[in-house]
Amino acid sequence: MWDSVSWVVFLTLFAVFSALGFLGVLWRRGDMRTLQEWALAGRRLGTWLMFFLVGADLYTAYTFIAVPSSMFATGDIFFYAVPYVAITFSIALLAMPRIWRISREKGYITASDLIRDRFNSRSLAILVAIVGIVAELPYIALQIVGMQAVLVAMLQGVSDYTTVSEVALIVAFLILAAFTWTSGLRGATLTAVLKDALIFVTVIAVIVAVATAGDVGRAFTLEPKYVTLPPTLENAYWSLFVMSALALYLYPHAINGIQGATDVKTLRRSTALLPLYGVGLAGLALFGVFIYAVPNALKYVHSFPATSQGTQVVPGLILFTLPDWFAGIAFLGIFIGGLVPATIMAMSQANLLTRNIIKEARPLTPHGETQLAKWASVVFKFLALGFVFAVPSTYAIQLQLFGGILILQILPSLFFGLFRYRLDKYSLMVGLLAGVASGLYLMEYANKFSIWKTTLYTTPFGLLYIGVTALSINVAIVLVGSLVAWAVTRRTPAPGSEPVAG
Amino acid sequence: MRATHTQTMKLRMVVAGILLVIPLVVFLDIPSYNRETPELAGLPFFYWWQILWLALSAGLFVVAAILIDWNGQREA
Repeated sequence: MWDSVSWVVFLTLFAVFSALGFLGVLWRRGDMRTLQEWALAGRRLGTWLMFFLVGADLYTAYTFIAVPSSMFATGDIFFYAVPYVAITFSIALLAMPRIWRISREKGYITASDLIRDRFNSRSLAILVAIVGIVAELPYIALQIVGMQAVLVAMLQGVSDYTTVSEVALIVAFLILAAFTWTSGLRGATLTAVLKDALIFVTVIAVIVAVATAGDVGRAFTLEPKYVTLPPTLENAYWSLFVMSALALYLYPHAINGIQGATDVKTLRRSTALLPLYGVGLAGLALFGVFIYAVPNALKYVHSFPATSQGTQVVPGLILFTLPDWFAGIAFLGIFIGGLVPATIMAMSQANLLTRNIIKEARPLTPHGETQLAKWASVVFKFLALGFVFAVPSTYAIQLQLFGGILILQILPSLFFGLFRYRLDKYSLMVGLLAGVASGLYLMEYANKFSIWKTTLYTTPFGLLYIGVTALSINVAIVLVGSLVAWAVTRRTPAPGSEPVAG
Repeated sequence: MRATHTQTMKLRMVVAGILLVIPLVVFLDIPSYNRETPELAGLPFFYWWQILWLALSAGLFVVAAILIDWNGQREA
């Protein structure tokens, strides 16, 4: 149960966490007024810190709150998160060291930097930057939902639900804004270590507690729909995990995160170990099923409105299976599990805005750039709040999946930009815009132009993730357009035009 | 000497590539693991099979990373 002991533990650990965040500024001291230092930790992180930092990108409120919530409310299709975290790292191992090497050589920080040079196109780079910034917004919103869920569980009983959830939202938001402003990537990395440690302990403790409190197998007897995946959803299942795997490393915060690595080897080693995080994720996903075998926790979850009860699955299990002092530890783990990633995401947005959009219009001093980046990261968090209201919190996973649909559209520009043969920049722009537009339309269509609850829609192959269709349209346009452009320039080579090979 | 060096390098990259692709192939064959039995500690096959492959993936990826890195060192 949640009582005064839990409060003391929670607040003490939060004080330790804040202290670490501020100490981050002093750690391997650098000039925090430059963007390189504030946002890339001076590119000096080793294997284990990289493991924790990139792990922090993955182990977020998505894992603690959104996946268990959707498993609980919808069904086992959301176990797709497990194959997703398994294969996303094979993609990362192939593409990321290359991006890292080119970036180090040429001083790039963002994907837009790379794309601008590679395709010699400012407009394409700006488009990619805008898509990156917007795609992060729902993902940050998901983190805010996670922080809110923890605070709601702590404050329940203090007042009525509506008041509590509003207060929780405001507190979550203010702490997030203050933390980003002061610490930068160094603070985020140091605190990521604390966060991951707390989370690992929590996941193991809850699994043990649930296994002893309620018979795990009983949950599947009580709710037989969880035993296997309905065969009609198999296509939806692969479309969700393949596309999510492709999307993860396209996010600005992921690209930003890998830049902190001290060398390519470090990057590869830390990436290869990351699927281990997924084992914890799988445990958390199963909590969405296990809760059916723990009557007290189930009753607690059902005491919340349907639109938000899913987010209480993990907090509920913690409250009813662990001692009060441990609930304090676990809740802090989940709370900063949203806070740290949201900070990293907001910083990467700010990077994009200053480097790839504003700087294109007018020059900035290094300090002016950082100042602007800090302010921008606050403004973006307000925009993210908008998404918090767009999706009922039980379905918060749709925020991440919606961000995925958007960010997937930069895949042709970034990944094909690494290859030898150059695609036509105008086709890339048209493809990207068509992908975003079709994704948005299908999203509205699938949800009957109302509040967002799904990112799947009916196709001749059964239900499919919208990301597949939107990306297919994008890639088709890019390839056909590039072929046409290639045929035309080959027939009439412009004087002084450069050869196709890069 | 130089030819064999390039050959082993190529072989390493191919092997690393195969290791990286194995988990994808395993997970894409959904009908092969979308079933109830055999259960493990009360968990249907569908769940524990995928969790097992998560751990195996990490192992395969680490081996692949080491193979690629050997190559990188020689190159430098």
